[in-house]
Amino acid sequence: MYGGLHSPAPLPSPGALVDLAREFTPRVEAFGSTPVLLDLQGLGRAWPSPRALGEALLEAARARRLEPRIVLAGSRIAALLVSQAQEGLTVLAPGEEAAALAPLPLSLLDLDPEREETLRGWGLRTLGDLAALPAAGLAERLGPDAPRLRRLARGEDDAPLVATALPESFACTLELEWPVDGLEPLSFILARVLEPLCSGLAWRGRRAVSLVLELGLVDGSRHRRALHPAAPSADPRTWRTLLLLDLETHPPRDAIQALTLRAEPTPARTVQFSLLDPAQPSPERLAETMARLHEWTSDGRGGTPVLLDTHRPGAFVMGSFTPGPFTGSRLPAGPPRIGLRVFRPPRPAEVSLREGRPAFVSAGSVRGAVLDRAGPWRVSGDWWDVAWSREEWDVALAGGVYRIFRDRLREAWFVEGELD
Amino acid sequence: MGSALKHTLEEMLRVRRLQADAPPLRGQDRRLSPLPTGVAGVDDLLGGGLPRGQISEVHGPPSAGRTGLVLALGARITRAGALAGWVDPRDRFDPGHAAAAGMDLARLLWLRGRARAPRALPEAVAATGTLLGSGLFDLVVLDLAGVPAVEVQRLPGATWIRLQRMIESMPTAMVLVGDAHVAHGPGGACLAMTAGSARWTGPPGPGRLLRGLSSELRAGRHTLRPVAFERIGLDELGGASGAPPRPPLAPRE
Repeated sequence: MYGGLHSPAPLPSPGALVDLAREFTPRVEAFGSTPVLLDLQGLGRAWPSPRALGEALLEAARARRLEPRIVLAGSRIAALLVSQAQEGLTVLAPGEEAAALAPLPLSLLDLDPEREETLRGWGLRTLGDLAALPAAGLAERLGPDAPRLRRLARGEDDAPLVATALPESFACTLELEWPVDGLEPLSFILARVLEPLCSGLAWRGRRAVSLVLELGLVDGSRHRRALHPAAPSADPRTWRTLLLLDLETHPPRDAIQALTLRAEPTPARTVQFSLLDPAQPSPERLAETMARLHEWTSDGRGGTPVLLDTHRPGAFVMGSFTPGPFTGSRLPAGPPRIGLRVFRPPRPAEVSLREGRPAFVSAGSVRGAVLDRAGPWRVSGDWWDVAWSREEWDVALAGGVYRIFRDRLREAWFVEGELD
Repeated sequence: MGSALKHTLEEMLRVRRLQADAPPLRGQDRRLSPLPTGVAGVDDLLGGGLPRGQISEVHGPPSAGRTGLVLALGARITRAGALAGWVDPRDRFDPGHAAAAGMDLARLLWLRGRARAPRALPEAVAATGTLLGSGLFDLVVLDLAGVPAVEVQRLPGATWIRLQRMIESMPTAMVLVGDAHVAHGPGGACLAMTAGSARWTGPPGPGRLLRGLSSELRAGRHTLRPVAFERIGLDELGGASGAPPRPPLAPRE
């Protein structure tokens, strides 16, 4: 048994009929704001007869100040089409669908204009006219799908009802009987709230891309925190850890009386891992690790160095650590390279020269006679902006090999770092 | 997937050596394979590379090649698709030289300490624990070179035992870089490097370049029982960006 609701009058809200239908069944198919189809299968146990069910629908509609046309019929198409033509409540007994549809206009079938024009050319005006034609003749003239039109016109519809999904809302509120103070008791409460929230996300094939936590405090104020991790997750443990880590750095100023969690859903990742590629880090664990390192990353001390496209020595910026998929790259051939252990900022030095070459270097712990040297390498750039110009030397002292340079604009010597 | 089919596939991977240089497949126990540094002499001494699940250390005086050796290891790991973490309490790491050494910087997490902050070292040790506990990284480097010995001694006595316990079940190798011996795990490697001489491209004068550093390396699972000595050469053939070296200019008259 199907129900059809249709309102020719403007509705107070676009979802008014859908909300009315959902009072009776979760299986509702909406065609815009109207008409709306209901799957009434199994409701016979709650209402003694289809008419009683129809009257209950009508009564519920009136309570909402709606005046829809309501049809209860054995087929989907009959409920849908008759509701667009008959005023008030109509209940079609099994077998009455064809008779009820017969006087209705052809235009209700929503045919394409060319085909409707053809049928009108044949003198057909109503669904009954179409239903009376022989199926074989229709198929010969209009193609293989024409018999299906004839079946629809007779109220025979084997298409299933495609339920419209419920609007997604992933929020959970908990009022506490006693206020809690401190993160440890809150941890248990968060687990209790996050479990059903994350289960709901997982059931719908969703992950939370962000989570908003609103704490109602005893002093009447609200403490709001929003988390946006590197990767969406529906793992309650991950979210609980991230929330607790965030609250450690941004604690509420009073005891907590209530909490609300709202998740913003996003479709789950559909990643098919390859047997031949290296295992990639779990995004959830990566997000959790980066949250634990929040103190380092928040002020730019942690992340991935990104080299800048410039000849200025030591030019780089810190980017966020989000390793992408492994693409495979070859290791440069040859022996291992020397590393440079830089001083930030470069250490000011006093350098004695002999025949224009460094002979003695003194810069704190880096001090001694130059035993050997290579240079100079003169480099400069950015004359149009913040210009720099330097003369680099690699010098061997008794305590190691260092890179020193003379800033040619400031006429000062510096130790850049230790070659190691 | 049936176990027989899975076994056949894994056997094919082994036979075709598709996993020779890449990190092991999901579910495979990665602790079995050590991390090779790519420096043949060093890997021979270590029996294949630095062991996973252990703290190893590389120590020596300035310009002994400690950083170059660990950069070679990091380059090999990141180029194979795994992740590396570099905890740097004194902020001495140079990304330009790391890239020139072959390291894939996109797979490197660099944590820079505030060099003059009083708690830079304890914070760095705590961050190292976080990286080790995540299990995401194949290599975690804690760079203690240049940190005064007294600061290292001020750390709680159980620091290294705690970190060692933490990674015993992890597929991670932790490397301490220092000026002198600090600590290493019971199965970890202890590489002691001594600075040799700098090598130059020619006689003193204009046009001369630093060609490399020669170092001596002693590797032993226990510092009291050194097993061998090995000489390695560390050459810097390119500039900071890995480009060919800039030709030196003669000093102005």
